[in-house]
Amino acid sequence: MSIIKLNNRAVKDATAVGSITGLGNLKFISRSTASSSSSLSITSGIDSTYKEYIFFFNNIHPATDNVVFSFNGSDDSSSHSYNITKTTTFFDAYHSESDSETGLSYKSSYDLAQSTDYQPLTYQVSNDNDACVSGFLHLFEPSSSVFVKNFIARTSGNNEDNHAQDDSVGGYFNTTAPITALDFKFSSGNIDSGTVDMYGVL
Amino acid sequence: MADRYKMVNGERIKLTAEEEAARDAEEAAWEAGAKDRAMANLRTKRNNLLKETDYYALSDVTMTDAMTTYRQELRDLPGTVADDATAADVDAVTFPTKP
Repeated sequence: MSIIKLNNRAVKDATAVGSITGLGNLKFISRSTASSSSSLSITSGIDSTYKEYIFFFNNIHPATDNVVFSFNGSDDSSSHSYNITKTTTFFDAYHSESDSETGLSYKSSYDLAQSTDYQPLTYQVSNDNDACVSGFLHLFEPSSSVFVKNFIARTSGNNEDNHAQDDSVGGYFNTTAPITALDFKFSSGNIDSGTVDMYGVL
Repeated sequence: MADRYKMVNGERIKLTAEEEAARDAEEAAWEAGAKDRAMANLRTKRNNLLKETDYYALSDVTMTDAMTTYRQELRDLPGTVADDATAADVDAVTFPTKP
């Protein structure tokens, strides 16, 4: 339905439209492009400028079949080590191309309890030529000195069993130190190709 | 093995010897866990297939002999995998056909 009135006047009679301020916006910060990369790190631009950051994964393709795509954070100011303590949840839904298998379950093998390990974002990623993973990760107020750093992530991919796979992750970096960098990698082999775009949320 | 590179803020950087060794260890550990992951996957699939037919066990539903056999074969499935089976062997296990 189209707008037919503005400030109780017909749009065709309006002579001016007031400016609209204070609305949110996504600000593009950077794009990281994998090229046979063992890992993909973002060590710049994660700071107190934004209360929330979103990382979009596009067409992440592994060199090795049946691998886990995962991430970790760093609180170092330089020479980043990716070893922040995390507690997380992981659940997934899948549906086979043959329509013979479906599932919706919590995956205790991919969650973490106060662990510094990398957090899986999705698993059983296929390296078929046309296979890839896409999704997003929200990181909330990484520079807070008061609170833990919450994150949620969701990915969609076609896994090595020819399933559509939808994985959801939630959790937090259990630290009040600022998170300054993130690192993404597969459990084995390179990230052949794909991009991670970082946005700040105003 | 070919050199590995990491991507940092869009810059392609060769791994140091220390980073190469750490990555080698990660990949070796990943490979060593292949059979355990395959068995976990097998159990997940088996459990989902059992759930699909759980309602046959309700008191007001009659379970056929074929369904009883199917569900028993599913429950037995992990035990039929040989101790020396590889991850590929586990992935190739044939599930019973639902009646």
